[in-house]
Amino acid sequence: MIYARRAWAVVWKDLLVERRSKETLNALAFFSLLLLFVFQFALGPDRERLAGVLPGLLWLGFVLAGLLGLGRTFVAERENDCWEGLLLAPGDKSAIYVGKLAGNLLLMLAVEAMLLVLFAVFFNLDLAGVLPALGLVVVLGTLGLAAVGTLFAAMTANLRARELLFPVLLLPVQVPVLLATVKATEAVLAGEPLGAVAHWLQLLAAADVVYVTAGLLTFDFVLEG
Amino acid sequence: MTADHWGFVLAAYGLAAIGLGAYWRRLRRREKELDALGQGGRSHPASGAGHPRSEPASRTPRQ
Amino acid sequence: MMRALGWLAALGLAAGLVMGFGVAPRELTQGNVQRIMYVHVPSVWVAYLAFAVAFVASIAYLGRRAAPADRLAHAAAEVGTLFLGITIATGSIWGKPTWGTWWTWDARLTSVSVVFVMYVGYLLLRGMVDDPERGARFAAVLGIIAALNIPLVHFSVYWWRTLHQPPSLMKPGGATMPPVILAALLVNFAALALVGAYFVARRARLLRREAELLA
Repeated sequence: MIYARRAWAVVWKDLLVERRSKETLNALAFFSLLLLFVFQFALGPDRERLAGVLPGLLWLGFVLAGLLGLGRTFVAERENDCWEGLLLAPGDKSAIYVGKLAGNLLLMLAVEAMLLVLFAVFFNLDLAGVLPALGLVVVLGTLGLAAVGTLFAAMTANLRARELLFPVLLLPVQVPVLLATVKATEAVLAGEPLGAVAHWLQLLAAADVVYVTAGLLTFDFVLEG
Repeated sequence: MTADHWGFVLAAYGLAAIGLGAYWRRLRRREKELDALGQGGRSHPASGAGHPRSEPASRTPRQ
Repeated sequence: MMRALGWLAALGLAAGLVMGFGVAPRELTQGNVQRIMYVHVPSVWVAYLAFAVAFVASIAYLGRRAAPADRLAHAAAEVGTLFLGITIATGSIWGKPTWGTWWTWDARLTSVSVVFVMYVGYLLLRGMVDDPERGARFAAVLGIIAALNIPLVHFSVYWWRTLHQPPSLMKPGGATMPPVILAALLVNFAALALVGAYFVARRARLLRREAELLA
């Protein structure tokens, strides 16, 4: 109970800061729009050709937005000299991890929802029928991305080359999640039932369990100093 | 029947030998540098991240 | 001790060459290119063995904060990356005459190269943290995550490159290998494992001396 309250305190603090400043969400929404432009310009306006690579583009957008968003997980603590505040928090430090992870998950899902709407508009997708299946894939994939991203963000927060090191560490680790989500999204958008991609969903679920467990167990060591 | 491609075999083994040999030489060169610095105080900047404490098993965090 | 290990490794390499070029016959379907396998396959085994050592050493470091465990993890990860690099290079050289191209996104080549970039990232992190104690902690966390990720990488890449549904978890073809070829593989594996152990021991000793000098 106390554990959940501690985690909630972190979520609430970050949400409140975000609601007052709106800096991350606004910038990420704009960034998503820019990504759409870049994809169109880079690949040409031919819709037929784009349709084949759409799942890949979608997840490329999610990952790029995620790299920016997740990398800022501990920016408030670092820039306002509140790192000691986290260190001084009583009890199990993994509650902080849970809180930060939940906050990141909310942020990422909000950005991804925006990106999905933009994709639906720009690429003339009909998402209505596939939304529940797609939602499941997106949530599973985002959890994996955010679980490792939150841990690595804490790790790189106080390093010299953090902007460089964060994606360099995160991207290779996320290869299984990326492969699984792109393949599953492809199948879902093609109208196949979820049963056809059950093995991918199982892999995603396994990855989520592994990453979250590892994050919970090791976060204490990352935060220490 | 099939071609033997001895050139490729040679290239593969050669590359492996070069890789292992280069790593061995790098280790040896660094050890030589350390020997030379032995009593010199500061280490060479090329040294990687090591662990400063020679006394292990201390549970207390830094500071 | 270390010197003896080094000579043993050199002896093993010589024996491995004799097995690979002298004892093992010319393979029927592939011809002599197949002899690349005697360095390619054992080196990937040695690399994964080294990563397993790095994984255990990382856990040990986080558990007891013993500096030797950290140095072992560092040395093993570095040597594992070296052997994985050799695996990828020799695999690529084997692929050119066999498949007609230096690189294809073959399941095993792909998964091995993903693991390779993961550990290159690990070594980058090692080099970028100024405070050694903090660097050791972070590297241990990353070493654990990377090792846990290896099975996920393998399954995902394997499914990605093959069928829609996974046929079986085991790779086919292992049972039909002639005993001579298997013996040559195993001798080369033992030789490269000795080389790897020698490198790890020497690298760990080097790290200890560097740390002592800095202290």
